Amino acid sequence: MRVYESEVPGVGRKFELELTGDESVVVVVHHDGRCELFHRDGPDADAEKILDLKGEQANRLGSILEGAYFESVDVDSLSVPLGEAIIEWVEVDADSPVAGETLGNSKIRTATGTSIIAIQRGEETVANPTPETKLESGDLLVAVGTREEQAELATMVEGDA
Amino acid sequence: MAAESALLEVGVMFAAIAAVGVLAGRLNLSPIPFYILAGIALNEFVLGATGLPAVSNGEFVQIGAELGIVFLLFFLGLEFNLDRLLADRRRIGAAGVIDLVVNFGVGLAVGWVLFGSPLPALLVAGVVYVSSSAIITKSLLDLGWIANPESSPLLGVLVFEDLVVAVYLAVVTALVVGGGDVGAAARAIGVAFGFILLLLALVALGTALFERLLDTPSSEYFILRAVGVTVLLAGAALAAGVSEAVAAFFVGMAFSSTEYVHDLETALASIRDVFAAVFFFWIGLVTDPFVVVDAAGVILVLVVLTAPTKLLSGFYGGRTYALDDRRSLRVGLAMITRGEFSLIIAAVALSGADGTLPAETARTIYAAAVGYVLVMSTLGTTLMGASGHFDRFLPTRS
Repeated sequence: MRVYESEVPGVGRKFELELTGDESVVVVVHHDGRCELFHRDGPDADAEKILDLKGEQANRLGSILEGAYFESVDVDSLSVPLGEAIIEWVEVDADSPVAGETLGNSKIRTATGTSIIAIQRGEETVANPTPETKLESGDLLVAVGTREEQAELATMVEGDA
Repeated sequence: MAAESALLEVGVMFAAIAAVGVLAGRLNLSPIPFYILAGIALNEFVLGATGLPAVSNGEFVQIGAELGIVFLLFFLGLEFNLDRLLADRRRIGAAGVIDLVVNFGVGLAVGWVLFGSPLPALLVAGVVYVSSSAIITKSLLDLGWIANPESSPLLGVLVFEDLVVAVYLAVVTALVVGGGDVGAAARAIGVAFGFILLLLALVALGTALFERLLDTPSSEYFILRAVGVTVLLAGAALAAGVSEAVAAFFVGMAFSSTEYVHDLETALASIRDVFAAVFFFWIGLVTDPFVVVDAAGVILVLVVLTAPTKLLSGFYGGRTYALDDRRSLRVGLAMITRGEFSLIIAAVALSGADGTLPAETARTIYAAAVGYVLVMSTLGTTLMGASGHFDRFLPTRS
């Protein structure tokens, strides 16, 4: 894979990248950072412009192609394998109505629709809690449910309702 | 009072330039002919003839136009790639010499027939020889040809032309400004080449000096130093009777071997754009459209003769690069476009009116050159866009 570089007076630099077969990609980088991408099917074909990017856009595309693109994840647009459901954490306070109840008696699942998949109790993690598992003040409940269900759970556990 | 209306005139000029620029952008055409036409529309011969206040050929516009030439040529020098020329000297040389001999030769002959003396013939030859790097490069980008093999001979020949023009302008400016009898002409050319040798020495030995000069973290000082050196040396050249354009070209070349090339391009591009537009506007401002109409015959002869010669020389230039007929034809069509350099030469011709040139001859050459550029800049761009329609006239199909 070879790259030919040349200057285009008054414009900037031109890079020609040979792809597999006779195909090639030509990149014209302007002095002001503007970046034009052309594609050619073969030596006899005419180049076709595929992209015309501003400097910043070109840099972003470049870093994606290079595999060096990182950006903080936007939670709202994050899709999880649970479909609509998300995983959230809610803490059981001493004055919470569910403190001291067993998981079954707390009616969390029937009232809110969320499932408690784990309880973090200090250093200890109770995975797959049973209906008999007792909820204690200071527990961190790890719940699966939709956004609305999670909101109901938070209200219930906090005891504001 | 005079100063107040002078500022208004400059304002009208820049507003007109900006307005026609918008129009050119909409039509996706080169703005150069539009700037010229704006200048013609607002000058004393057109707007003035209707009784309205025209934009006068004031000192600011004249100096601004001068600065436009200086910065155009400065950029040419800055981006002049000697390595490219040398690395590819066989092909560029062959294509460049074909281009030079055919077009300069025809121009010389036509000029001689029309005006019957050597200096006008030399000027006409220059006007018809040089293609427009600015307009052709823009079209190459617009049509995507920049990514095709035909861009190699085109850019190569344009670089060759740049170098020839630098030498040509040095000689012609010396002849027009300092000429007269043979002795004066020889002396003027001697001074011109002395000055160029001096500047070449600066290019070869002055890199460290220029590096130090531009070594400042302040973008303000940076641009001021670059402009200071360039305009000072160009002005000194003109004062000594040497082409300011050539001086600016070599100053640009001197800067091109420093590490600041990219910074200079970024910092000075807007200054060049502003004053280059003033230059094209000024070209129109001093153009009497009635003289252009009178020169219609000359313009017609030049167009009819030199559009085909460029087509031919460009075609064979493409063949020296082993391009097929279709691509070679494109090279020829593109090279038809004439522009900024023909106008710079026209301005040189005008400066010789009543001096080394009879006023009538100087004005005719000037008006013909302006009309010629208006035709050729539009014709070249249009033909490039329609190149597909010409393929069937090719002798062999590839």
